[in-house]
Amino acid sequence: MFPETAQCLKAAAPLFSQTVLLKDLSRLSTHGGGSHLQARRHLSISRCLTSKVRPVRTPRERVEIPGLEAVTYGEKMHYVPGLSKPFHPQWERSYKDPGHYRAPPAHEMPLFKDRSCFVFNQRTSALEGVLQALWLTKTKLISSLPPQLLSLSENPANQIPDQDERVQNAIKHARFWDTTEERPGKERYSNTMMVNLLHLCATLQSSHPAIGRRTQAEKCSLATTWRRGEDLFQIRGQNGLLHTCMDPLPEVSGKQEVSDTADHVLETFYPVSPTINLQKVNVYKEEMNCSGFRDDYPYPHAHTLFFLEGADANCKLRPDQFRAKMLMFTFGNALVRAQKLYGPQRVLDRPVTVQAVGTNGRIFQFMVFQLNTTDLSGDDGIKNQVWLDEDVELYDFAKVRPLIQRKQVKVPAGLAGYKPEAFSKFLSLYLHGAV
Amino acid sequence: MALSCLTRALRSMTLSQPALLSSQGVAQTKLAPHVTGVVLNQCRGFLTTASLKQNKTQWKLREKYTIKPIGMKKTGGRDYTGKVRTHGIGGGHKQKYRMIDFQRLRYEPTKVDQPFDEKVVEVRYDPCRTANIAMVAGGSRMRWIIATENMQPGDIIKTSAVIGRMAVSANEGDAYPLGALPVGSLVNNLEIQPGKGSEYIRAAGTSGVLLRKVNGTAIIQLPSKQQVQVLETCMVTVGRVSNIDHNKQIIGKAGRNRWLGIRPSSGLWQRKGGWAGRKIKPLPPMKVYVNLPSISAS
Repeated sequence: MFPETAQCLKAAAPLFSQTVLLKDLSRLSTHGGGSHLQARRHLSISRCLTSKVRPVRTPRERVEIPGLEAVTYGEKMHYVPGLSKPFHPQWERSYKDPGHYRAPPAHEMPLFKDRSCFVFNQRTSALEGVLQALWLTKTKLISSLPPQLLSLSENPANQIPDQDERVQNAIKHARFWDTTEERPGKERYSNTMMVNLLHLCATLQSSHPAIGRRTQAEKCSLATTWRRGEDLFQIRGQNGLLHTCMDPLPEVSGKQEVSDTADHVLETFYPVSPTINLQKVNVYKEEMNCSGFRDDYPYPHAHTLFFLEGADANCKLRPDQFRAKMLMFTFGNALVRAQKLYGPQRVLDRPVTVQAVGTNGRIFQFMVFQLNTTDLSGDDGIKNQVWLDEDVELYDFAKVRPLIQRKQVKVPAGLAGYKPEAFSKFLSLYLHGAV
Repeated sequence: MALSCLTRALRSMTLSQPALLSSQGVAQTKLAPHVTGVVLNQCRGFLTTASLKQNKTQWKLREKYTIKPIGMKKTGGRDYTGKVRTHGIGGGHKQKYRMIDFQRLRYEPTKVDQPFDEKVVEVRYDPCRTANIAMVAGGSRMRWIIATENMQPGDIIKTSAVIGRMAVSANEGDAYPLGALPVGSLVNNLEIQPGKGSEYIRAAGTSGVLLRKVNGTAIIQLPSKQQVQVLETCMVTVGRVSNIDHNKQIIGKAGRNRWLGIRPSSGLWQRKGGWAGRKIKPLPPMKVYVNLPSISAS
């Protein structure tokens, strides 16, 4: 309702014999929810506002005939039967008011383009999961971590003193001790566990000074563009925790393996198209290439990305979709770096390597991605490589109350079934590049 | 009386002021400074009441298709006036509505008029109907359809509008026009008019039989044994609808009926009239949904 008319009504209230209360004024307002429903004039103001309502008829179409102008009752300021309804053009504010801004439709926006772009953001749930991500990034999958990485943590010089005990304490802190309530929630304990494990790894800085050349950042926005076939793709979104380094990571596979990937055929998943579940936009900035940092940032090379499953409460991803998201964002970070260093659309002499770790508090996914080429338009040629270790359990159970069935303790309270391999893989990913 | 109050109020807003009663003079002086700025331009009348939203179904107004379940508001058998129109409906478990695409032959905007395949992603229970529903993905879109009997996740189903000379050997779950199917095949999700979307044979375990094809039209027997003649370009899916054991389900207790939203019937004993009892009568004549050209005399 117009504020002027509301004031008029309030001032004219004593003229009405049946007072319409002020709270009814807000109910009578036409702006309250569902403005697509036309309010019809209904000239009796009665107490009973729940009477029978006839179905709405669509308003008559207004025809403008240039020679004949309709005689309206606008000048008379009251309704006259026989004269037509006056036409009032849509009122627009003459000044700019940011509190009342109405966005124009998509085709009137300055960045509108006819060619649509498919955007992968941090809430995208790709239907085909890792297969779709592999096709989109032109990548070959290898189902285990590279052996030279795993051997890093087997070397006793690279291990933390009292490693197992300290890791178990870290898990217990995250799962049991970090709250005043009975047990901490999943988002809280997965975050605390990640922070604790990173802290443990960082204690090796005294023996490995290269760890000091790293820093971490949270919630940096990533934006990158690439072409695949005839479609344009973009990754946009905020990463999880990002570890960046002053020096780039060394490449994992040699030149021979890289050239062997040219024989690999990407797996398609007919009849589903690879653009399924991606957000299709027509208003976008072309050639977006932003790593989230300025060019003079002292730690420009992305080292590891850490993803938590419970970070976004509205977005629940299945394990396959979660791994796809990890892969896409790792690829995005690598692509931004490569495009800044070497320019677009070419095979890289020095591949860019980025790592990723994803967890839900108990199960870890480890990923090492090597970007060999930024020439992604065709399906043939050298492909990128990803080493993916899925579903590595850190421990079996961390129960606050023991599980008792038929008066027998099946699972005791506390931490049960600790597996040291998961942390050794975590440590080897952390130490990669610092040893 | 209310009308006269309103016209008085409206008149008080006009610029040309006729002589006013003294009791209104005070109100007028209060009104005038607010009103002049508004009334200099032509002022629209104000609305004294808004449309009454509590009797309108707002949740059904969504036009854009989505696979996300939509929250539903139950009516309890009441119509837009608020009175009970159908007895015995009310309560029951909360349900979310999943928008089902009954028009199986819906092309993607860029690929019109090409037969296409879709992959079944998930088959699940739908609280709003007896049949199960399947989420299918094809191209860049996903949609819900009525699942047929042996549909499993991972199956590929085909939809084609091509009517060839030879009848197609159709697999269960595929959708073809009636003219392309062999006579005697079990069909479901029948369209009466081409392009309208299926309105018949959608309940759990039902299937129609394609009886014969007669120059440009096809005759189908519905599950009620009623025969129907439709154009041969109407789309159907092949096979029986899913959840075939639905009619063998035993409710078991009154509570289960209440969970389904079925309220108890009136306990009043009513003398049964001519409507009750078993009736044996001939089948009604075949319903023709085709405008056949009439044979003119000359």
